[in-house]
Amino acid sequence: MKFIENIGTILIKIFSNLGKFILFTLFFFKYLFKPKFYLKNNLLYFTNILISSIPIIALTGIFSGMVLALQSYTGFSRFSAESAIPNIVVLTLTRELGPVLTGLMISARVGSSIAAEIATMRVTEQIDALKTLNTNYYNYLVTPRVLSLIISLPIFVTLVDFIGVMGGYIVSVHRLGFNDNLYLLNTIDFLNLGDYLSGIFKAIAFGFIISIVSCYCGLFSDKGAFGVGTATTNAVVISSILILSSNYFLTELFF
Amino acid sequence: MKIEIKSLKKKFNGNFVLKDISLTIEKNKSTIILGQSGCGKSVLIKTIYQLFNFDNGTILYDGKSQVDIDKFSMLFQYGALFDSLKISENIAFTDFINNKTNFEKKVISLMNDVGLDKSIYHRYPSEISGGMKKRVGLARALYKNPKVIFLDEPTTGLDPINSDKINDLILKVITKRKITAVTITHDIKSAIKTGDHYYFINKGIIEDKGDCKKILKTKNKIFKTFITGANF
Repeated sequence: MKFIENIGTILIKIFSNLGKFILFTLFFFKYLFKPKFYLKNNLLYFTNILISSIPIIALTGIFSGMVLALQSYTGFSRFSAESAIPNIVVLTLTRELGPVLTGLMISARVGSSIAAEIATMRVTEQIDALKTLNTNYYNYLVTPRVLSLIISLPIFVTLVDFIGVMGGYIVSVHRLGFNDNLYLLNTIDFLNLGDYLSGIFKAIAFGFIISIVSCYCGLFSDKGAFGVGTATTNAVVISSILILSSNYFLTELFF
Repeated sequence: MKIEIKSLKKKFNGNFVLKDISLTIEKNKSTIILGQSGCGKSVLIKTIYQLFNFDNGTILYDGKSQVDIDKFSMLFQYGALFDSLKISENIAFTDFINNKTNFEKKVISLMNDVGLDKSIYHRYPSEISGGMKKRVGLARALYKNPKVIFLDEPTTGLDPINSDKINDLILKVITKRKITAVTITHDIKSAIKTGDHYYFINKGIIEDKGDCKKILKTKNKIFKTFITGANF
């Protein structure tokens, strides 16, 4: 009996949180279209995300491209198809690895920081202070973060795609002995705009997922240091799971 | 502004924190809310401020159930200053986020009123002491010229000398500006010094009320025990 009761409690908690999350997202859209737009705050937040995330994004891109080139060589060399390596590197990066790895890295780098910052604001009554100062926290806290990530993720993905291709180029030319011009020609010829845009569309979706989940986890965190820690963990775990699962459906969409 | 509260009830997760609260906050007077930790004092003032909804009862602001909360302001227990903003930006928050830039004179005048040196104008909250944070919080609360100010444990966490300074400051500010003040405190000395009327809350109801100058003459046993600090 106790077992069934526990399952019931967990299910109620899950559905109640799901309902709260859906309401939170609907409120976000409501205030997005009736905005009190804090331009300075939005720009500051966007710039901050952009500058602070570029180093990890660059590292993610270059090593992904390098590894991809090496691993492709291992497979393709077994049936003499090494010439397909530039095509595989650019296609995998633009359509798949670029957006997914960027999403996961930004979830860890920015999503965790959003959740921790907002949860701390809640614990220290700064959210209440915002309300007493007649400031809507959707406009002041949520909108800048969501918009910043929706705009910056495509920029990051473009960067990862470019740096990743360069990583593949370095390994292929300097380690595997490819002709440099041929490698670049193959890459450019094979890539079409649709491949790139499908990755960009994914990036926009992942930016929205990371930011809305992280803001929700922060705003509805429990009190105390434990609450802040849990909010941060939940933000990263839930965003990552949603990125990986939604990636399948988005891939189906562009298949 | 006069605020009348009748039979107010508020529950969290099925438990009533405020069971039946009726009290009157007189215009331009200082009302003190006393009570043990967890008795619902903060919930009460946040409900009056309309930060929380309530389950039952009525709250009338100058006889009306609706109020523009821009007429209110609050000093939070630990200041609740925005960490990412400078002291000046915290004080002039509403103007700052609306990109108004001509707040320097008003901020410096307020800093002077609450006894803050203007050298901290460009500092961040993490760079100043707890007492200073309370003063900044008070300056922020006064920035919008409120009709009612809510003070949530203004002397908590301060040493006796700084507590006394904050009490003097609150008294000076509410007298000079002729505003209605509602203060939550555990500090009897502070209540006697800064208050006109007091309400003592115990287990979600008003256990005792009266004139702050006569607090020590109370006949209510529970309140007496609270004052003397013994367990009950």
